Amino acid sequence: MFFSLYNNFKKKRNKAKLKDEKFSFLFDEDRSGEYVVIDTETTGLNPQVDEILSIGAVKIKDNKILTSQTFEVYVKNSRAISSKSIEIHRIRPCDVEYAKSSNEAISELLNFIGSRTLVGYYLEFDADMINKYLKPLLGIKLPNKMIEVSELYYDAQIATIPQGHIDLRFDTMLKKYNIPNMGAHNAVNDAVMTAMIFLKLKS
Amino acid sequence: MSILDQRKLIESIHPFELLSATALENLMKKIDIAYYPKETLLISKSLPSIAFYIIIKGSVAEFVDDELHNVYSAGDSFDADALIYEKCESRFVVDEDLICYEIKKEDFLDLMQNKKVQSYFLQDFVTRHQHLKDYAAQSELTPFLMSRVSDMFLHSACVVESDESIYNSLVKMRDAKAHVILLKVNDEYLIVTDTDLREKVLLGGVNVNEEISKIASSRVISIELNDFLFNALLIMTQNSIKRIVVMHKGEIKGVLEQLDLLSYFANHSHLVAVQIDKAKNVDDLKNVQDDLKNLLIILNSKGVKVRYITKLVSTLNIKIYKKVFDMCVGVELRDKCALIVMGSEGREEQTLKTDQDNALIVKDGIDIEDFHMPMVQLNSYLLELGFPVCSGGVMVSNVFWRRDVSGYKSLISSWVTSLNEENLKNLSIFLDAKCVAGNVQLLNELTDHLHYSFHSRDDVLAHIAKAVLNFETPLSLFSSFVLEKNHNNKLDLKKGGIFALVHGVRTLALQYEIKETNTIERIKQLNNQGIIDKNFATELMESFDTLSSIRLKAMLEAKEMKESNLINPKNLQKIQMDLLKDSFKVINKFKKFMIFHFHLNMVG
Repeated sequence: MFFSLYNNFKKKRNKAKLKDEKFSFLFDEDRSGEYVVIDTETTGLNPQVDEILSIGAVKIKDNKILTSQTFEVYVKNSRAISSKSIEIHRIRPCDVEYAKSSNEAISELLNFIGSRTLVGYYLEFDADMINKYLKPLLGIKLPNKMIEVSELYYDAQIATIPQGHIDLRFDTMLKKYNIPNMGAHNAVNDAVMTAMIFLKLKS
Repeated sequence: MSILDQRKLIESIHPFELLSATALENLMKKIDIAYYPKETLLISKSLPSIAFYIIIKGSVAEFVDDELHNVYSAGDSFDADALIYEKCESRFVVDEDLICYEIKKEDFLDLMQNKKVQSYFLQDFVTRHQHLKDYAAQSELTPFLMSRVSDMFLHSACVVESDESIYNSLVKMRDAKAHVILLKVNDEYLIVTDTDLREKVLLGGVNVNEEISKIASSRVISIELNDFLFNALLIMTQNSIKRIVVMHKGEIKGVLEQLDLLSYFANHSHLVAVQIDKAKNVDDLKNVQDDLKNLLIILNSKGVKVRYITKLVSTLNIKIYKKVFDMCVGVELRDKCALIVMGSEGREEQTLKTDQDNALIVKDGIDIEDFHMPMVQLNSYLLELGFPVCSGGVMVSNVFWRRDVSGYKSLISSWVTSLNEENLKNLSIFLDAKCVAGNVQLLNELTDHLHYSFHSRDDVLAHIAKAVLNFETPLSLFSSFVLEKNHNNKLDLKKGGIFALVHGVRTLALQYEIKETNTIERIKQLNNQGIIDKNFATELMESFDTLSSIRLKAMLEAKEMKESNLINPKNLQKIQMDLLKDSFKVINKFKKFMIFHFHLNMVG
């Protein structure tokens, strides 16, 4: 009760800061019954200094991952991509040649997600990264409800092994739920795998 | 996974690689991934299919009338029929948590507009259902339509010169056991039938010394050797004739009789039996051999249970043995001896020719030497007929296996007292002895003696039974197969299961003095005597049948004899694989039963 009041209050305050009325749909009540799983690839792990390279997202409805409606966008960067991060996300400078400006990319993402609940693995980080661009653009932070997959996983596991140490690594979760690891690390790929874990946990 | 990875996966699944790049691109935009937990019902009679599923992970079982029909796993797809024909006779149930691609019904039907994709799914529909039909109905119609004239037994044709006299022609016809006389006039064959003889010779007064061409009436109606039997039947019906001349490359190959044609469809085996009876020499019998193999293939493809096939083949083989026996042994000696077959032949479980295991029992007081030459002759005939030599020398040509009754009795006594490996082997095959020719009383006397000798000798019986544990059942803890590393990862059916079952049942039969030699019959008797319950008996019989039928398939396909017990489980259909696994589980259960029954864990 208190939380919902507090959340409502926060949401209202957030909405009041919205600079562009075109995006007021973000604050509408979600009636689609869908979730959006998002994942970002970044130049590093510090939202203060690092930048987004690409964003991937996929919708979930009931028991289906709507891969027919995936979202993928590459974002233009201010600096050269460090060779260290290339090893992880395999996004080479040439891949971002046709990338969009960060403002363009964020706007497209917002149109894709609407007011749906967001799902992700360490979603807080992805949200922070997105907010880093969103705040200066529209004056707001992502208002969507968020579901943390690793938290769901923790709850499911702790019920079976109450005193256990729960390994929350992504690969461990994939193995645990017998989810195919399609190899290549990219935003859409990771989002789809996260979606699979989410579906298993949800059912 | 990225769009690219998905595309690769879809592309790797037939027939999607046939799509053009743009068509595939469009398809990719329509594919979703779905998750279904275990036991979700996807399609059934009352639950129409809404999508085409391609499995990424997990498995789905298809049931037809509550019977497991197929299992689909990663990379498999289903079910085009349900979408195309908008109905489905089977049930698709998730067997293991399923992650799959879904192509929505409309999108799938759109895809079917592509001719290549369409032909794949439609053709697949036909072949798959052909399979279903063979499996379920064992339809008589298919072999009927598929059989060719060359599959048939053809009567020899009696061809005479056109200037031969009627009398001589008739003599030739009688000798050839033919029903019609054929003669060649100006590159054309004419036929003389019974009707011609009756009308023109008996009633018309033509002298039997006249030329045969005088009474020949009609031109021969013929059919090519490679033509379908169905056509032969049609021609006969259309022309209201009872026989048709079979030609091949312009030459007469024989005459096909309507009676044989009809009985062919009624009972193939009948004809083989007739041929054996008719055989006058070894060469005639040789021809029968080929027919026997064809018979096997036909019956097996019709889905007839292997135990009936082997029974039939054994019956026919016994006929051959009898025939050869009569050719070699003089009339005066025939009831003074008994020709017995042992091992798989004795059990009537032999399918293709396996080593000959035979022996001769001579009546006490008759000189065994009298049979020396006839038996050597018999052995060589059998070799000619393609019964392979027994590597262990268990053959009538070997003096060891040519004894009089008391000779065998002392042999049996020696088996009871000392069971070395050699003796155990001989005892095992002798336990399966069956009399095929001569005086059956001689064998009965020995069987009684055998049972008498082993009565209450549980210690000896335990030693015999121990061989059941000689080979591990090739099934791992996790229900997967253990393969023979030195045989290209194949599975040895004989070592792995058949031997344990056959030998165990054989030992029990000896203990309980059961006279049957056939494994199935022995199991039934053991059940009748209350040694094993009905459920277990049925399990054992079904397992035996499964193992034998997979083995028969391997034998028919094997190029070399020694390879014929080995199968590659990867070549099996899923349903067969599961049946095989279940059979091995039953074999393991049987081994445990034997250990308990004979206290084998106490036998050193």
